[in-house]
Order: sequence, then C-alpha cells, then structure tokens
Amino acid sequence: MFELIDGRMIAFAGVGSAGIGGEADLDASLMLRVRDGDEECFRLLLNKHRIPVVNFLYRMVQDRAVAEELGQEVFLRIYRSRGSYEVSAKFTTWMFRIATHVALNNLRDNRPERAGRRVDEDAEGRARELPDRVPSTEQRMIERARLQQVRDAIGRLPEKQRAAVLMHKYEEMEYSQIAGVLECSESAVKSMLFRAYETLRARLSHMAMAGGAR
Amino acid sequence: MKRDSDERGCGFLDNQTLLDYAAGNLEARRADLVREHSRTCSSCEALMVEQAAMWVELDCWVPEPVSDGFNRALWQRITDSETAPWYRRLLESMRSGGWRPAVSLAAGVAFVAVGFVFDHSVERTASPVASAVASGWGMTAVEADQVESSLEDIQLLRLIE
Repeated sequence: MFELIDGRMIAFAGVGSAGIGGEADLDASLMLRVRDGDEECFRLLLNKHRIPVVNFLYRMVQDRAVAEELGQEVFLRIYRSRGSYEVSAKFTTWMFRIATHVALNNLRDNRPERAGRRVDEDAEGRARELPDRVPSTEQRMIERARLQQVRDAIGRLPEKQRAAVLMHKYEEMEYSQIAGVLECSESAVKSMLFRAYETLRARLSHMAMAGGAR
Repeated sequence: MKRDSDERGCGFLDNQTLLDYAAGNLEARRADLVREHSRTCSSCEALMVEQAAMWVELDCWVPEPVSDGFNRALWQRITDSETAPWYRRLLESMRSGGWRPAVSLAAGVAFVAVGFVFDHSVERTASPVASAVASGWGMTAVEADQVESSLEDIQLLRLIE
C-alpha cells in the first residue's frame, strides 16, 4: 500500500504480531526510511506528531516550557534510536511509550519542587494567560476557574491513571494502544480508566451542577 | 453489557460501555440500547449524565500552540548530540533519565570493588598479626630461629660441663 504525504509516495509497513495484527502503519514505514538515512521522513514524523506529543506532555507536567523541552527529548530519543528501529508495535504506541517515560521521569525528579506550585503557573511561577474567548471579565474569571479545577482534578490523579486518561480522552487512543504504551493488559487499562473517571466525576460534579444551573 | 456494575445496583451497564458511550465510541445499535435502558433505570441514567457532564468539562482544557522555534531547537539538539564527544553524550543520556540504570550498574560495581578491597585488606592485615602471634613478642621468624639455636647451644654446653 502507498500513500502520498507532502508530495512523497510512501509505502506502508505491515505491523508484526506484537503490534496491531497486520494493520498497515505508515509511520512505521517512515521510521524505517529514517533508519535507512532519510532525514526528510523524520521531518514528516516530527511535523505529524509534534503537537499531540507536546500536548500530552503539557497535560502531564502542566508546564508549557518543560513540555516543549521534554517533547524535544522524545524526538531526540526517536532519532537516536533510528539505527536499531524494528517494527514491533504501532509507531505511535512506541512514541507515546517514550513520551510517558520521559514525563514520569520528569515528574519523579521534580516532585518536591512541584508540590507547592499551582497548576496554572509556569516554571517561573507566573500565572498563565488563558485564551481570551469570552468578552466579559466575569465570564473570563468563571472560565479560568473551571479550567483551573479541571487541571487540578487531572493533576491530582496518580501518574499512570493520569497518563491513561490523557491518552484516552485527549489523544483518543484505543484501549489496546494505551495498554501497549503503559505496558499492561487491556483489562488493567479499562479498570484504571474507570477508576480515574470515577475520581474525576466526583471532583468535577459540582462544576457539572453549576454548569446545569448556568 | 452485564459485568462489573453490580455495585451500582443495576446489572445492565458495565464500565467499558459507560466509558465508550460517553466518548461516543459505541456503535449505533448498542448506543440505542443504552439510551433505551437509561429511560427506565434511574441509577444508570444518573451515572450516564454524570459521566457525560464530566466529559464535557474536560473539553475546556485546550493547550496553547507549540512554539515556532520547536523544530529549530530540536535540530540544534540533534546536531549537538551527533557532534558531541562520547563523554558528553554519556552525560547527556544520564541527565535525560538514562542515569537510572547507570547508577544501578555503578552501585553494583562499587559493591564488588568494596568487597574485593575489604577481602584483600583482611588478608594484608592478617599476615602481620599472624606472624606477630607466631613469634611471640613481635619478633620475626629469623630472630626466633636464632634464639632457638642459642638455647640449644647453651643446653649442649651445660651437658658437656
């Protein structure tokens, strides 16, 4: 199978038994070309996955500057391991596994530092400006408070539950893929997600009620 | 759909169905079944409403765009890492989390080294102690032989006398 990307015809790679059962994986094909020295294919992968990877890292560590630095670390690791790359799983599963490791390492290394920081502050402790979508000041403050509570509710989840929720909710990944990233069974992912959403339902229930009253 | 929902008092909705329904990932026929059931089951309906409301709340978290300099900074890091000497690459990989296995390895090597040094220092300290004990008051083996032969000479002289 072939697909035209940025004016280049790219052949698909079949994913082996450890991956998603013979499904064609264009990204894996691109990575194989990177392994063979085609840097342009790395640029294609970077441009395609940069936003989801950085957004995932941002929601994990809740600091934009750190998330971008970690995002670069993820792609640097992908580039460095190009020589030994084998198609054993879906490319995005492998990539998010690296991203999750990088994020968890960062969270563990900076745990005491983070403890006292509000989740809407950046590394320098400044409050982050939120996108200005509503004209009224009051409405803006309400939106800001809502966002703060959502970030806080997610930020207080255990690290693996947080990663699972972010991949499921925001990256729309399937259970099998999340299981591949977190290196656990699909049923473990489902129960992890259910527990996490249960916690989030409880933490955000007052907002839903307020939203219903609005 | 029956499974792990007994604790919620209804045997119809399981966890995965609830998650998939709220995420819009349930196939149309099953989604209709869930909707139909929720009309007659207040506990499931309440749970579905709660889950759906939470799902909508989570949508308000939209990240800021990735900065323009992201690719440039990455290529700079790639270039730096490719041209850096081996010891700097090692340091870099240690800084980026690769230090964990390195620390374990270093701890293992240090443990073996300490064991080796300790073992040899015991041997080294054991030999002077052993020789001191053997020679009585800290004399060497040669001196002991000389004393012994002198005593034998004295004894022989006494016998001759």
